[in-house]
Amino acid sequence: MESLHPRIRLLWIVQGVIYAVILGLVLLAVDRWALNVPTVALAGVVFGVFVLGGLYAVRLYQVWKFELQSDALYLERGVITFVETAVPFVRVQHVDTQFGPVERLLGLSSVVVYTAGSRNADVRIPGLPPERARDLQDTLRELAVESEADDAV
Amino acid sequence: MNRLHPLSAVSYAVRYGFLWLSLSLFLVGALASISELLSGRWVPVAAVGGLAFGIGYGIAYYYRFGYRITDDTFDVASGVVARRSREIPYGRIQNVDIRQGVFQRLVGLAVVSIETAGGQSTEAALNFVSEAEATRLQNEIRRRTADGKRKAHSDAERDDSRVEDQEFIGPLPASEFDSDTPSSEHAGIGPGPGAGDRIHDRSPTEFEEPERKRLFDLEARELLLYSFTSFRPAAVAAVLFIFFFMTDTIIEYLLAIAQPLGGPADIETGTAGSYGILTIVSLVNGIIVTYLLSVAYAFGTYYGFQLGRIDDDFVYERGLLQRYSGSIPTGKVQSVTVTANPAQRLIGYAGLWVETAGYGPSSDSGSQSAVPLAERGRVYGFTERLTGVETPRFERPPPVARRRYLVRYSLVAAGLVAVAVGVTTVTILERWYLAGVVFAAVPVAAHLRYVNLGHYVGEEHLVVRRGFWKRRTTIIPYYRLQTANTRRSIFQRRLGIASVVVDTASSQSFSDAAPTIYDIELETAREVHATSRRRLQSALSERSQDDDLSLDVDFTDPDSSGP
Repeated sequence: MESLHPRIRLLWIVQGVIYAVILGLVLLAVDRWALNVPTVALAGVVFGVFVLGGLYAVRLYQVWKFELQSDALYLERGVITFVETAVPFVRVQHVDTQFGPVERLLGLSSVVVYTAGSRNADVRIPGLPPERARDLQDTLRELAVESEADDAV
Repeated sequence: MNRLHPLSAVSYAVRYGFLWLSLSLFLVGALASISELLSGRWVPVAAVGGLAFGIGYGIAYYYRFGYRITDDTFDVASGVVARRSREIPYGRIQNVDIRQGVFQRLVGLAVVSIETAGGQSTEAALNFVSEAEATRLQNEIRRRTADGKRKAHSDAERDDSRVEDQEFIGPLPASEFDSDTPSSEHAGIGPGPGAGDRIHDRSPTEFEEPERKRLFDLEARELLLYSFTSFRPAAVAAVLFIFFFMTDTIIEYLLAIAQPLGGPADIETGTAGSYGILTIVSLVNGIIVTYLLSVAYAFGTYYGFQLGRIDDDFVYERGLLQRYSGSIPTGKVQSVTVTANPAQRLIGYAGLWVETAGYGPSSDSGSQSAVPLAERGRVYGFTERLTGVETPRFERPPPVARRRYLVRYSLVAAGLVAVAVGVTTVTILERWYLAGVVFAAVPVAAHLRYVNLGHYVGEEHLVVRRGFWKRRTTIIPYYRLQTANTRRSIFQRRLGIASVVVDTASSQSFSDAAPTIYDIELETAREVHATSRRRLQSALSERSQDDDLSLDVDFTDPDSSGP
């Protein structure tokens, strides 16, 4: 089983910080225009969210695993709800590599695999080094073409 | 390029005429109110100009709209200024639907919609063509789709598939989809002699005149039962809509009928007691009216329902005022679902739906009714012939799942009591503890949810059953699997159970989530997951050897071919 690049934790921590900041701003607004929120409580909540976000990021990195198996791309992920997904190569419609602004700063890329399904139709593998992402994209594309089925929708 | 029916020019002219008329009036009004440059004198000018432009645009739209049937694709070109030309390969068409409203039926017009799996809306909509042209298009597309498929597999002989087919046709055992059904009910539903021999012995020329085989006609009794036992959420929206527009009249009416029972004399004056009576009377009225609307709607929608088969396509027709007819290639069917609500289960009836990846004419999901309602035994027999699934022997989740629902519903009940407490603090109502009654429903609800869950891992199909209010038994062929997911929330991990989500390409709406096997033991879940994957691969390799890729099973039901 392959893990993500360790730097992805930084990305998730940044996301946690953003959530904490947004929550802090909301609480400040409440304090200003509605109820009186004690500063200690405000700081405590923001700090708590920040710590939880950090723990979540670390744990998520620990559980996030993926593997190319003989017939399918197999992924395990999730802190609250742990999900094991198998995407048969024959069901892959197309494969993208993507990166957002933060990912670009951290030198990371995502691979997104699309299927024709109705739920969980696109599967994203975040936090891969760009060359690994391209490599995975190529491999998946080849495997998908190799195992092409005749019963396309 | 063919043009639409000339009357559509009139329709487009009227539509765009009104659109531009109102748009220009609005613009002039808005400009006149904010600046001095324009005054009311311009209104007639704008009206005439807008109307003329709209009519012109509508007529131009008609002349710039064309469609064509080519050897490989169905082409549509449209657009007055920005042009779009679209080519839809026959092999990718999910379904072809014909819709006729009341007015269109009077003048002999129809709307043809062609759906594919991609995109969020109908890929080609022909507003309007004549009835004869609509039927011709439907037949022509069906014939060319079949031709294309045959061409693709022309190397292989069809004799093989015939042998293969007959494996499915033999008399099937009495079905038992749910454990609480006595199997004797379904005796004698097997297909009649020689039911399967017909379609395989045809030469290509026979495609010229498609032969329609009747699979199912909804009888009057079944239609009435369906109307009275099913409920359409749309009826609620309709009632709310009516209430919104006729609020005063409706309140007067409610007051009038509540008064003899002790209701208030008018809406402003009244005691807590009389308001209570008014509320109850209004609720009862609302429920009755909603129910009647729902009955009428279901009756109108499924009046004259017929399901038939032409070559490899299902064709159906239905509708009292607005007529629908459509065709679904059997090879595009992703999964089939047997549904039954408690009332229908009580009288021993069930319905059958087929799911494709397209979008249905009446809903935003690709779910189409194949049999709105029929006796359970007939529906099960039909389903088994349609999919070739063996009679499922359902496995239930471990009892620990029921405990989980008990806890879950207790929390819901506690939430309701909390709401009741909140209500008593802001209204004159006092006895919040009366809301505790809801706890009595918790064990019942948990048990009902539990007993309706079940799954069966078949040779070629996975069967998933769930739901009490609308129990759905979905039959998923392994070769339709898109992704398999095993999900475990923190609570499920503590109890050692998991849910398996089996995704197919059917385009389901939000309310009908992907088929899920809820709360089975982790070990079982992993097994189901692995089995599905393995059988997908073996089914695919079998199918690639086989020349025929469609769901080529004959499922003529001799019982349902009408009187």
